[in-house]
Amino acid sequence: MLNNINIAGLSEFTNEVKENNNEGKASYGITLDWVSGTKTKVKTKNMVLGDHKIVRDFEFIIDEPSQLLGVNHAPNPAEYMLGGLAGCMAVTFMAGATAMNIEINKLKIEIDGELDLNGFLGIDKQVNSGFPELKFIFHVQGSGTQEQYNQLIKRVSQHSPNFNTIKNEVRMIGALQTEASLN
Amino acid sequence: MDATNDMWLNDLTRKREKGPTLHKESYSEFSDATKAVHAGQYNDPNTGALGTPIYQCSTFYLNEASYKAIEEGRGRDEMIYSRYGNPSQWSVQEKLSSLEKAESSIVFSSGMAAISSTLLAMLDKGSHVVSSRDIYGGTYNFLYEDLYRYGMSVTFTSPTNIKDIEAAIQENTKILYFEALTNPLLKITPIKDLVALGRKYNLRVIIDNTFLTPYNVKPIDLGVDLVVNSATKYLNGHSDLIGGTVSGSRKLIDCIWPQMLKNGGSMDPHACFLLERSLKTFALRMRTHNANALKLANYFEAHEKIKRVYYPGIQSHPQHDLAKSQMNGKYSGMVSFEIEGGDKNAHKLLSYLKLPKEATSLGGVESLISLPYNTSQASLTKEQQKNIGINEGLIRLSVGIEDIEDLISDFEQAITNVFKKELVC
Repeated sequence: MLNNINIAGLSEFTNEVKENNNEGKASYGITLDWVSGTKTKVKTKNMVLGDHKIVRDFEFIIDEPSQLLGVNHAPNPAEYMLGGLAGCMAVTFMAGATAMNIEINKLKIEIDGELDLNGFLGIDKQVNSGFPELKFIFHVQGSGTQEQYNQLIKRVSQHSPNFNTIKNEVRMIGALQTEASLN
Repeated sequence: MDATNDMWLNDLTRKREKGPTLHKESYSEFSDATKAVHAGQYNDPNTGALGTPIYQCSTFYLNEASYKAIEEGRGRDEMIYSRYGNPSQWSVQEKLSSLEKAESSIVFSSGMAAISSTLLAMLDKGSHVVSSRDIYGGTYNFLYEDLYRYGMSVTFTSPTNIKDIEAAIQENTKILYFEALTNPLLKITPIKDLVALGRKYNLRVIIDNTFLTPYNVKPIDLGVDLVVNSATKYLNGHSDLIGGTVSGSRKLIDCIWPQMLKNGGSMDPHACFLLERSLKTFALRMRTHNANALKLANYFEAHEKIKRVYYPGIQSHPQHDLAKSQMNGKYSGMVSFEIEGGDKNAHKLLSYLKLPKEATSLGGVESLISLPYNTSQASLTKEQQKNIGINEGLIRLSVGIEDIEDLISDFEQAITNVFKKELVC
């Protein structure tokens, strides 16, 4: 074990996927229910990895601060998105560091970005409603060299699923299902 | 930039292999009797002693290889500490893997240790198991009483009706857990249909094969993910040890191994020796258990004082056709039957028998006999027992390897005595 990651298991999984691509197919999903005001509750759907189900019995609350008309009960959607991005970058960094036999004592990732709510509010149609840029900093302490850490960060940008979901264009396929109102 | 700086996960080279093993001979090309004798035997290289020595030690000298194995997270493939692995365990595990046609196996200190560790390793928070309402009481208690405490749940349903099993599957179902042959009514789980259901819903299928053993049916050949056994029964076969096994792909068994480390329940080296030695006669014993049971079942079927016989190998068994296709003419060493006159006469019969011993458990060389109503199903009321088919006078017989003529004549004299008219003076 290095960094509390089983290198043998990581290698065996990688080679299993190499031999049978289907074992590397992982389907995810969530459902979100509106609770009240800006508050919503997310439940994770079960995953399927390869041919087998993984039960994902987790849920979390999303809200907005009172200044943005919420009741400030939980992080807001932008914070969850940045958290999900950082978490994925951390997994990718740590898996790579472990494969490179680098012991990591500390890893902290900071991500900052600025939204212009003129876009969300529809005041200025020229304004991008999303983050125009995100800045991230890796704080690392471990047995690696500066050069190795830079290489790892480059690998994160190449291999982290969430990083690439945000960086690249994603096909968004929407649909609407309405239900009859209760009288 | 050196090569280490430029490597990524796809450069990792270690692949899963069968085992763990100290040698590479699986005897996979041979049949069961040959495998039972030869597979997994570690002859002593120092003395030339034939047979696996008893490695009665709790720990091993650490060296560069073991430190590296610990660092790389492959402690299952090195000798470090006997709870992790021991040559006596590896030896019998290899024999079992060969018999089960599995890549890997683990032996445990009891059948329930194997079952509980396997289930806990395979289940996720919030997950659900579909199992049989006829399941062994120990397994039932674990599923019913303990899963809830871990935030998991279970539905018990028919072990034979695939539509009922499918109807019990929920969104959070992860495992289909069934027994190949149930206790005491010897119902047969349709394994191929169960595997098809597992594939349809992306579920894992686990079969407890204690009553049949890999000699009679090989669940892994039929597509089952994991097979568990109480080794206490037929695998050991001498009613002198407690043990359990799980076999399957190296991938899944590697998931169960760390759960075993946390739960405890590893098998002691001396018990491993007993089990490995006993397994050498496994095929020989099973052949006789099966043959004796079939003859006894036919004898009971023809006897006017026996109301009903439960045995997959006779035509009156409601799943006889499935038995023929799934068990290839090997119908197990278990027979259940109902005697005229209810539980009172059942008790009398047991008292008149000389050869079958009145004891719980099964699969020993000696015939063992018991009444389900006051042993395996004792926690149920009479009404509940009746609802699941435990009728008055039901007797469960684990047929041993004694001479069949002796067994039949013993039952003949005992049944005659039960129904002998008492003389009134």
